[in-house]
Amino acid sequence: MGCFFSKKSKRKSSEKDPTLTTNAAQNTTNNAASGNTEETPKQYSWDKRDKVDPKDFMLTGLKDATVGRLPGKLNGQQFVIQDCENCSIYILDNSATVTIDDCVNCRVVLGPVKGSVFFRDCKDMKCVVACQQFRTRDCKKMEVFLCCATQPIIESSTGMKFGCFQYYYPDLAFHFKDAGLSIFNNNWSNVHDFTPVSGETNWSLVPEEASVLDYVPPPDPESEFKSVRISSDAGRSIVPLTRGGRRKTSDESCLFVFFAGDYTTANARKLIDQVTEKGFALIQTKEVSMRPEDVNRVFKNNAEGLAELITKGPVVALELNGDGVVEACRNIANGVFSGTKVFVSESKNSSSSDVDNFFNFADMQMGL
Amino acid sequence: MLSGHEAVRPTEGGIVMAHKQPIPGRAQRGAWGRSETQHFGVYKDATASIVTVRLAVASRRKVLRPISRSKQRPAQRIIMGLLSILRKLKSSPDQEVRILLLGLDNAGKTTLLKQLASEDVSHITPTQGFNIKSVQSQGFKLNVWDIGGQRKIRPYWRNYFENTDVLIYVIDSADRKRFEETGQELSELLEEEKLSGVPVLLFANKQDLMTAAPAAEIAEGLNLHTIRDRLWQIQACSAVTAEGVQDGMTWVCKHISSKKK
Repeated sequence: MGCFFSKKSKRKSSEKDPTLTTNAAQNTTNNAASGNTEETPKQYSWDKRDKVDPKDFMLTGLKDATVGRLPGKLNGQQFVIQDCENCSIYILDNSATVTIDDCVNCRVVLGPVKGSVFFRDCKDMKCVVACQQFRTRDCKKMEVFLCCATQPIIESSTGMKFGCFQYYYPDLAFHFKDAGLSIFNNNWSNVHDFTPVSGETNWSLVPEEASVLDYVPPPDPESEFKSVRISSDAGRSIVPLTRGGRRKTSDESCLFVFFAGDYTTANARKLIDQVTEKGFALIQTKEVSMRPEDVNRVFKNNAEGLAELITKGPVVALELNGDGVVEACRNIANGVFSGTKVFVSESKNSSSSDVDNFFNFADMQMGL
Repeated sequence: MLSGHEAVRPTEGGIVMAHKQPIPGRAQRGAWGRSETQHFGVYKDATASIVTVRLAVASRRKVLRPISRSKQRPAQRIIMGLLSILRKLKSSPDQEVRILLLGLDNAGKTTLLKQLASEDVSHITPTQGFNIKSVQSQGFKLNVWDIGGQRKIRPYWRNYFENTDVLIYVIDSADRKRFEETGQELSELLEEEKLSGVPVLLFANKQDLMTAAPAAEIAEGLNLHTIRDRLWQIQACSAVTAEGVQDGMTWVCKHISSKKK
């Protein structure tokens, strides 16, 4: 029946066909249904907008090059990368969605992507990516430092390695906001494989000591990117470094929750600095909205007074881990955050169920 | 047309649409001008007796011209009254419709599903199995099945074909690299026995993106004009902003009854 796209149709102009509606109407009338009686085809926003040159939003067929987009040059548009070899690609802006096809041996940095990032038929890639959805198909040997709002998925891919996003450049925090991504929602370590192979794993985690800049070096100082001050210091990273699914060193965890307010993000970062200084580990974070009816279910016996706090906006929750972490957190709460209403686990007996209750709830909220 | 008691016959049963065998009758000038006689349906009136009514339908060339009440015969007045009851019955959502939402992975099916349900679309996970939602739309209750589209799990699509009333096929208009692949999958779906005759709405999604091909180009590339065995429509949309979505659903609701028995 010939439903393929032929080369011939690709050469035809992309002129809008004003008679499409009528053609469809004729078709439906021929099929003996009440036809489409619209006289004039409807105009949508995409019919009225200014035409842009697709080439401004594509990188195709490059080799041994350092290329990309400086902050402010993409502004939330789509981006397409294809057929590149041995390139260093820096997309230092937020975008709508990115597809990367048939690339080999490239180092890619993708600033926050509002929608999906989709790698297909790529090999030997080293990437830093922040996105809402992460997808691969038919890829081989990739190392990705990822901040992903949902569960990353791979299909027919092997040798995939994942680590936690660690990156900074001056406008990055704004780009996260523009892309609608929270720095606290990062499912980098729990990957779903659509094509698992028994006896093998197609994906694993990068070594914990791995340094991003060893994999994805900063841009050549002679390139157009020399003006951008990039860093992958854990302390400067816009996205907090989390251990995620790595094996925990201690049985003791603690749940710490900040409620919505002007300083929520700053407070969360302060807490992270304080606990990591003391040698404790940050396992995971979540930024999620709660309703009053969720409060009792999640906080159980300590829910008093919290119902009104959650109405102001999403909460930021953190799981910390290490021997003695609960006591340390309570001290920090009383000392550093004495003026702020927070939730901290009461004791190490209750803390593991605090953590489970909260993060199970968050997963449900953020699923479908 | 009716004459006195002839066509008014009590029968058993509840609401039945489109009785298969037309009851022979003389073609006459009816309440709506020169017309053909066509069997309309059986429906229950408010007093719980069931009547079979034949209704004159204006031919396609003529415009419907109602004749004034004073000139209508009593039987015609009964019919007009029953018609208004039918309209009210049809608008009550007792008609459940099964809609199957298919397309390649990353096409925007789940975003579309959530948009139909007026839910937040800013945080959506790649679908591992399937999602179902029930949505009220234009007098119908739509049970929408959104099935994961990864290549590996497309063989499972066939488990969901049975009893589908409408197929909605979603295309990422901005993913030109995969136009051939989506065309191939669509082509196979349209050859499926269990989907034969099922109307198909194609959403040319992601029109908000700058490399998006217009719906006309996609229709041409997919050779949609060669589809002869069912109703079809292509609708440009952006699921993430909802633009164009309702227009597509209006077409769906309009063409549900063509497949339903």
